[in-house]
Amino acid sequence: MPAVAVVGSGLAGFTAYQTLRRGGLEPGQITVFGPDLDPVAAWRVRAAAIRQREMRSESDGHCLPTSFPGLAFRSVRRRRSPLPLLRSVVDRYHPSVDEFLEHVEELRARSRWDESVVRRRVERVRAVAGGFELDGERFAHVLLAPGHPGLNVPEELRGDRRVVHAYEQHEYARTVTVVGAGLAAATEWLNALEAGAEVVSVRRREPVRRPLNVPRPYFSRRGLGAFHRLAPRERVERLRSLLVPSYPPGRRFDAPLLRAQAEGRFRVAAAVNGSEQVICATGFLHGFRHDPLLARLVDEHGLETADDWLVLDADSAVPGLGDGTRTLAVAGAPAQWAFPAADTLAGARYAAHRFLARIGSCRTR
Amino acid sequence: MSYTLRGRFDSRLAALLPLLLVACALTGALHRWWPVELCALMAAVGLALDAQVWHRLLPYQPAWAIVPLGLVELGALMAIVYGFRLHAPLWPALGLFAGGWLLSVLLGQAGYPLFRLGYAEEGGELGRVGAAAAAAVMLALAGSAATVVVRQPPVVHLAAGVHHGPLVISRREVLVGDPGAVVRGGIVVRHDDVAIRDVTVRGGENGIDVEGVSGTVLDGVRVSGARLDGIHVRFADVTIRDCSVDMLGNRWGQGIDVSYSMGYGMVMIDGCHVTGGMEGITTHSAMADISHNTVSRTTARAISMTEMSMGAVDGNQVSNALGIGLYCNDHSMCDVRRNVVVGTRPDRSTSDTTRVGVGLVVSYRSEAQVRDNELGANPVQTRSFDLSQIKKS
Repeated sequence: MPAVAVVGSGLAGFTAYQTLRRGGLEPGQITVFGPDLDPVAAWRVRAAAIRQREMRSESDGHCLPTSFPGLAFRSVRRRRSPLPLLRSVVDRYHPSVDEFLEHVEELRARSRWDESVVRRRVERVRAVAGGFELDGERFAHVLLAPGHPGLNVPEELRGDRRVVHAYEQHEYARTVTVVGAGLAAATEWLNALEAGAEVVSVRRREPVRRPLNVPRPYFSRRGLGAFHRLAPRERVERLRSLLVPSYPPGRRFDAPLLRAQAEGRFRVAAAVNGSEQVICATGFLHGFRHDPLLARLVDEHGLETADDWLVLDADSAVPGLGDGTRTLAVAGAPAQWAFPAADTLAGARYAAHRFLARIGSCRTR
Repeated sequence: MSYTLRGRFDSRLAALLPLLLVACALTGALHRWWPVELCALMAAVGLALDAQVWHRLLPYQPAWAIVPLGLVELGALMAIVYGFRLHAPLWPALGLFAGGWLLSVLLGQAGYPLFRLGYAEEGGELGRVGAAAAAAVMLALAGSAATVVVRQPPVVHLAAGVHHGPLVISRREVLVGDPGAVVRGGIVVRHDDVAIRDVTVRGGENGIDVEGVSGTVLDGVRVSGARLDGIHVRFADVTIRDCSVDMLGNRWGQGIDVSYSMGYGMVMIDGCHVTGGMEGITTHSAMADISHNTVSRTTARAISMTEMSMGAVDGNQVSNALGIGLYCNDHSMCDVRRNVVVGTRPDRSTSDTTRVGVGLVVSYRSEAQVRDNELGANPVQTRSFDLSQIKKS
């Protein structure tokens, strides 16, 4: 019986796979369930849709099990220039999307990822003695990395023929309304302006300007320690405040927006008006209920939840379903209860490290 | 990275461990404690700043911050080194600090993240490795401290009253004179690492005779009535602080004479009062730092560096010398700065043109760098002879 299963063949699953390989597991001991062999299949489409050229993450936004060597170091070796490393030292290095995709491709081949992937969606996870059953197949240790459950379009805009989601392939009309205030929205403002459109930004709140998805201390135990000690109600509130839409500060966004504003081509409005095109940069459906696999897991095992979140241990494990012989943990967006930036590459690495630590201490390995 | 406090401690102490091993090796090779002392200070300064400043001030520490943080730590370290008069040589000490800093940068940015999964997300904590490194550092420092204590020379108190000499010291010891303690007949030092504090010496061939030994410290000694030199040093390195030497009535002896010490290390003569004698303070073939002394009423020269000596004559007060105030002679290289020389008298007993009451004489292929000296109140301020140079800087 293979020792470990990863449910999800996207970036979180891929990062977990790299960590497990670093932990000494061979491809034959890991089974990855997912619809695609290519771990960036879904991500690539979304990045292309918003014409993303640069990652929001920094040098350590990669899928390797350790934060060093990062992508800046890789870039130094390739370009034979110290510039990426110098930019990384002052937190100004952001790998290009192409660099990131190349890195994933290299890693995919090197780690023999394809040997472990079974192209199948898992419909049901059930705890059984000594492990878990995934649609009838038994594994001692399972990491659920199902990814985002779908694109979010606000209720009032569903059915409107002008509407397209930012993460779907699209061009730009002459007048465009962009709904949302996060990085995807900010990128779409610039894209539409560059395409010559007049842009209206519709937002419920002013966006927060910060370099990464959440404040930096929340990427380490420094911020996480206090976060994990919060009572459930407070933790829900904290998550809501941390996960508000944000995009990085700097001239890259400000200069073209100010220019367009002065030209009368960019403005902020309270509601969608008569634009020819409405782009919903409103991210993903949020909450475990939108994911059939997680919803069923919660219902069948009576797992604890808080609002839209699945309650997890600090190490991303599902409480009550693990013991000395088996582990069930969650990675990616549904793991925000343990790590607020769970849907980032750093978040995927966090869950993967702890999953490896759990199974490393298990008697069954 | 966002360090936790423990992460800062772990990362720092684990990086310090190899440096401490190097310092221990250096201490063994040099027979000097400054490398280990410096390491202990680096640990103490670093941990204190971590706990009291960096952790509070920096919830997130970008990589570039290691440069200003390193400079602040270096400043604090050097302030303590100089403030507490720890005898660490400047450049080697800076080298040790720079090595430690570079190692911590390499480990923090590459080493720990490469070898420890989750180093960044755990805020720099190293788990059991960190605890083991901290224990090893503490153990090494505690062991060093214990060795220092065990190796401390015994302290011998000289009771009040007159002790007949010459007193010969032939083992490591600290001789401390209680108030009123007087040694009549001189003290002879014949062992390394001897310290003499607050002892009054009267008479003797030489007041205090130090020959062929190293690490001698003379602190607060008072010497008078010696037949030859007040303090007589040969083939030895010595630190002389806050002493008083009275050579009045002795026509041929020197107040402090340090000779043939080149190759034995730097000689320090600081804060002494010397009155009378042929020369107040003189060095022959020695590397010396002669600072903040008061010398008066000498019959040949007040302060003299000669016979290929090298060093500084800094911040001294010279008055009422006969013939010459300051003297840099015979292939010596002297850094003469901030001295005050007044009332040098012409020596009318000789036709020697160097002795006409000159503030500073540089002669016989010697070189003096001079700066900020007050030599105006002498018949002649400066003179150079025999291919010598006076360079103003």
